[in-house]
Amino acid sequence: MYPSYSIPEVALELEYRPYFINTIKSNMASHGIARTIRGRTDQQRLQDLEKIKIYRDLESQVRSRAALGNYDLALFNLTTKLLGLNPEYHTIWNVRRRCLLSGLLPSPLDEPPSLNAPASQAQSSNAPSLNSDGSVFQSELTFTIPLLLKFPKSYCIWSFRKWVLSQAILRLQAPIAREIWESELGLVSKMITRDSRNFHAWGYRRFVVAKLESHELQGKSMAETEFTYTTNAIERNLSNFSAWHNRSQLIPRLLNERGADDKMRAAFFDRELNNVREALDVGPEDQSLWSYHSFLISHLVDHRGRQTIVPALTLPERTAYLRREVDEIKDLLEDYPNIKWIYMGLLECSLGLERLGYEVDRSSSSFHGSETWLLKVRALDPMRAGRWIDMERDMKRVEVRQGTLM
Amino acid sequence: MADLNQLPDELQLATAQHVKYIQSLDTRKDEYDYWLTEHLRLNGLYWGLTALHLLRHPDALPREGTIDFVLSCQHESGGFGAAPGHDAHMLYTVSAVQILALVDAFDELEKRGTGKLKVAQFMARLQDREKGTFAGDEWGEEDTRFLYGALNALSLLDMLHLVDVEKAVNHVVACANFDGGYGVNPGDESHSGQIFTCVAALTIAKRQDLIDKDRLAGWLSERQLPNGGLNGRPEKQEDVCYSWWVLSSLSMIGRAHWIDREKLIGFILRSQDIENGGISDRPGNMVDVWHTLFGLTGLSLLGYAGLDDIDPVYCLPKSTVNRVLGKSM
Amino acid sequence: MESLSAETWDTAICGTGLSQSLLALALSRSKKRILHLDANDFYGEHEAALSLQEADAWAQAHAGGGATHHLDNQLAEGENADEDVTSDKDKLSVAPKLSGKKSTIFRNAHVWKHPNAEAQGLSFPRAYSLALAPQIIHTKSKLLSQLVSSKAYRQVEFLAVGSFFVYSSTDAVSGTRLARIPSSREDVFSAQSIPARSKRTLMKFLKFVIDYDSDEQKPIWQGSADKPLSEFLVDHFKLDDRLRDFIIALTLTLDGKVTVRHGLTTIHRHLTSIGLFGPGFCAVYPKWGGISEIAQVGCRAGAVGGSTYMLDTPASIDEAGNGGDISIKLSDEVSIRTTTLISSQQIRSTTSQSISRLVAVVNSPLQPLFGVLAEGAPLPAVTVVAFPPGSLLNNTQLGSNTPVYAFVHSSETGECPSGQSVVYLTMQTIPLSSASEVLDMALTTLLQAVPATGEILYKLYYEQATSSRQSLVTSQGDATVFEFPSPSLGLAFDDESLDAVKEAWKIVMKDEALDNSFMKFEDREGMDDDDDVYD
Repeated sequence: MYPSYSIPEVALELEYRPYFINTIKSNMASHGIARTIRGRTDQQRLQDLEKIKIYRDLESQVRSRAALGNYDLALFNLTTKLLGLNPEYHTIWNVRRRCLLSGLLPSPLDEPPSLNAPASQAQSSNAPSLNSDGSVFQSELTFTIPLLLKFPKSYCIWSFRKWVLSQAILRLQAPIAREIWESELGLVSKMITRDSRNFHAWGYRRFVVAKLESHELQGKSMAETEFTYTTNAIERNLSNFSAWHNRSQLIPRLLNERGADDKMRAAFFDRELNNVREALDVGPEDQSLWSYHSFLISHLVDHRGRQTIVPALTLPERTAYLRREVDEIKDLLEDYPNIKWIYMGLLECSLGLERLGYEVDRSSSSFHGSETWLLKVRALDPMRAGRWIDMERDMKRVEVRQGTLM
Repeated sequence: MADLNQLPDELQLATAQHVKYIQSLDTRKDEYDYWLTEHLRLNGLYWGLTALHLLRHPDALPREGTIDFVLSCQHESGGFGAAPGHDAHMLYTVSAVQILALVDAFDELEKRGTGKLKVAQFMARLQDREKGTFAGDEWGEEDTRFLYGALNALSLLDMLHLVDVEKAVNHVVACANFDGGYGVNPGDESHSGQIFTCVAALTIAKRQDLIDKDRLAGWLSERQLPNGGLNGRPEKQEDVCYSWWVLSSLSMIGRAHWIDREKLIGFILRSQDIENGGISDRPGNMVDVWHTLFGLTGLSLLGYAGLDDIDPVYCLPKSTVNRVLGKSM
Repeated sequence: MESLSAETWDTAICGTGLSQSLLALALSRSKKRILHLDANDFYGEHEAALSLQEADAWAQAHAGGGATHHLDNQLAEGENADEDVTSDKDKLSVAPKLSGKKSTIFRNAHVWKHPNAEAQGLSFPRAYSLALAPQIIHTKSKLLSQLVSSKAYRQVEFLAVGSFFVYSSTDAVSGTRLARIPSSREDVFSAQSIPARSKRTLMKFLKFVIDYDSDEQKPIWQGSADKPLSEFLVDHFKLDDRLRDFIIALTLTLDGKVTVRHGLTTIHRHLTSIGLFGPGFCAVYPKWGGISEIAQVGCRAGAVGGSTYMLDTPASIDEAGNGGDISIKLSDEVSIRTTTLISSQQIRSTTSQSISRLVAVVNSPLQPLFGVLAEGAPLPAVTVVAFPPGSLLNNTQLGSNTPVYAFVHSSETGECPSGQSVVYLTMQTIPLSSASEVLDMALTTLLQAVPATGEILYKLYYEQATSSRQSLVTSQGDATVFEFPSPSLGLAFDDESLDAVKEAWKIVMKDEALDNSFMKFEDREGMDDDDDVYD
């Protein structure tokens, strides 16, 4: 079928979906919605009252049934309706979970998953049709998809989905559970395509991948495919900080799994560095790119107790890298003379060189050290003057306490 | 909408309107949204009440009614729901404790509720003793928001000894990223909101030494955009609420001067609804009590005149925190 | 027919071109008494989409100078022959025709059909829908926002316009002669064939265009605003020939001499339109014949709103009319009266440029031209190929200084059966009737450059000019006659034409015309938004 484009769908995708930290806040309230004149017409008021009545009737039905402790199919169906109206209602998701646990889900497996176990064991006392083939899990997951598309940053919905999936592991044979988990990757890719920075979706992706890699689901490492996934995401949008971040997280494991020796590691490091520098050619103001550049540089200078990508580089090799970076970044100045980030990159590399004990000829007329670059940064970035003043003070101390950047 | 970035310099804080706006919030029972957001009622009360305290109108909501409502949300387990009949959850429980701290009513917990201990035990039971993490409720969702909430409320209740603080600290450290920030879980990207919870948790645990302060503050200071507002992550839009998450984090690690104070004040003031009160996510948008609080806390951290001081760790007035923790003023 | 003449109409709209149809849409909730006519038996007037049968008939009617009057031959001979056209208006017919068949906007039309067309796959005539004046619509266009606010968009299916290619006869580097124009940072980043240094200069230019109108950037270009863009690109941005061709192609200008001011405006529109409706694409094209589809939707809204529609109804002003109204003669028996008359200008202006168009049906889907632009992006249905000046091999030197543009439409546009495509080629008309040769050459070259084989089954050639660019407003007593200008010759929809629609709307609405209510309607009943569902 040909995907034709209708305008409203598109407009929906552009809507800004914010982040809420303190609570599971409804985005029906106020993020990104233009202020309009308050006050409703009488007709709107009546409509609201009608809506309230329907909503509250439904709510009181759910409550009174739940109070009786009768978590049956009727109550389950009521939660479907109510959550359709208000998918942020955390208590109702709990009622739904209780309904599922009271017989709608297949019984937990008594034994750990085994390849030799029979594929299905009809044990559920209550709903034989929804048994060990996983269909009830599928229908629960399907139920949440439209809600998630409407509320892509709702903590409740994401967390309910995780819970359903975890129940699948407890209650289904591993191969069947695995199929269900695998299809989650499709959904999460779709969510990331709609909003490439949805951190719920990225976190969820890591969660799903970790499970798919785990023994519980008879998995193996997916570092290679996930790494490729970040490459593709970055090629679609260089500013995708989330993808760059995930990439940085994957690298150490990737190299270990490849059994990379020192030479392979150095080659890998070169390629990453070249790649991000090429990206900087077209996006010299992009914080995501500079952040990844800085991540790579930190492996030459200061990897903060983490596993470094290139442990075997000698000191001269590391200074050579940094000197080349200084030259390459300086070259950007020819086309982009007034971009703070370029000077910050130079400042960082210079501080790195100083930290590695590299001796520069300060008397040379072509000398540019960290002081030079800091002056430029300060001039270009008055908003953060406090930071640059502090840094200057720190650099002036006899023992150059190494400031860090980005 | 007219270009609200062009409002006059003499823009002032609309204190009286904000007070009125917050007072009006519970009178909107004929609006559908009022009912759709019932799952936020207790949090909403905390946001509104804290805002009123900062605005120096602590009595604008009736104290007795406030206490009655909070206690009506409590379960036998000691935990609190968002409203009567709602399931208990860490987030609501923390809000309940904060509200009771604000109105100096911990003793009411003993008189009319389950008692402090049970409240603390409700939260303590949600800790995973292996990993140090905290769940939000019995269903197991984990997040550093819950960890912070527990440490916040438990320390207010003087019950921190019920949990394994060291393990909690280890978990926070595991959430740290190369850029100095923190994510929702280990491996997740840095986010200003999560940074606040992690830095505040480490501060309560007296383990700020584990923070890479310069790097973190560098990252946080880059959250300020040319219009003065702050965003939550690189390459995202500004939003008033980050005035709190970013600035409180910077304050806790002594680097609040790394951003432009005047520009941020201007941005927050432009986000006010001058006529009807309330603050929105950015100029010209719909206001709500949540952004109203975090606009005000932002201004308070910036030392804006006419507002009481906010405590960057607890998100309560400094006077409240000092009273509860027994510090001298 | 009697009821037609029973009362005076509030307005009579003659012609169903886009402007008149948008006016019908704008008036559709106004409770005005509206009669909407077209002399043709199809909708769309100058912007119609025709079946092959209709195209054949249309070509015959426009074979000479379009209108069958005595000036045709002179017009075809030399540029200066145009000068008397407008002043001869009165000679054309005693009663001026109000729409359709007597237009001099189009001329020199002819049709070619493959001798074995049917054997090669040409389907039945109604399987085709050839647009006379196809235009892509940038996602930023006001036309789209008006279709949204008037709720008419629900009846239009929008397709994505995909890649812009530039043809080069000499580009051996990439092994392909069709190079995709990189228009986003990510495109530039992954373009293998552009050296690092050029990438930076290109990015610098693209960034500059994004806010070229800011106080910071204005000084860079304002001094050379009326100079050729191509020189500016070299002087100020040091773009090489190839990048310059890329940028000029994005302007979609037909004379190759676009000015800095105009060029920056159009490139700005292009770049800022990308991604607005979804990843990767900058413009849309309405399914089933482009602009004509929107015209039909406008008329449909008019009909739903109670207007009376009559196709195949030639009309002329009845000079014998009297009083404050205008009398319009529909046939020998029927005349109607109206207080406002809206029509469109049918006579080419003496100063008008002329463009040559070649529409070709090809029996290949030309698949390689329709790659998806980005993940999550819709499959494009329209692709643009630019042939920069001098890029076409020619031994006659003809057309070497004029660019040619080809819009390739896949069968997803509904304009041809699946497995085929429609190619719309356009260039400025050049003297000595050689434009059709150049367009033929471009078509052949295009088919050779695409790694897919295709035979040409059907071709329609014609030339298009414009009327004067202003709306003409005249008063007759209390009555007003308003004439829209004919469609612009641009390859992308030009928002300026919407101003005339609003102007006409104000004339009809008089003091009921509230600026902020123009084209803003609620959904009609039964068309509610996806509100929460109760059951």
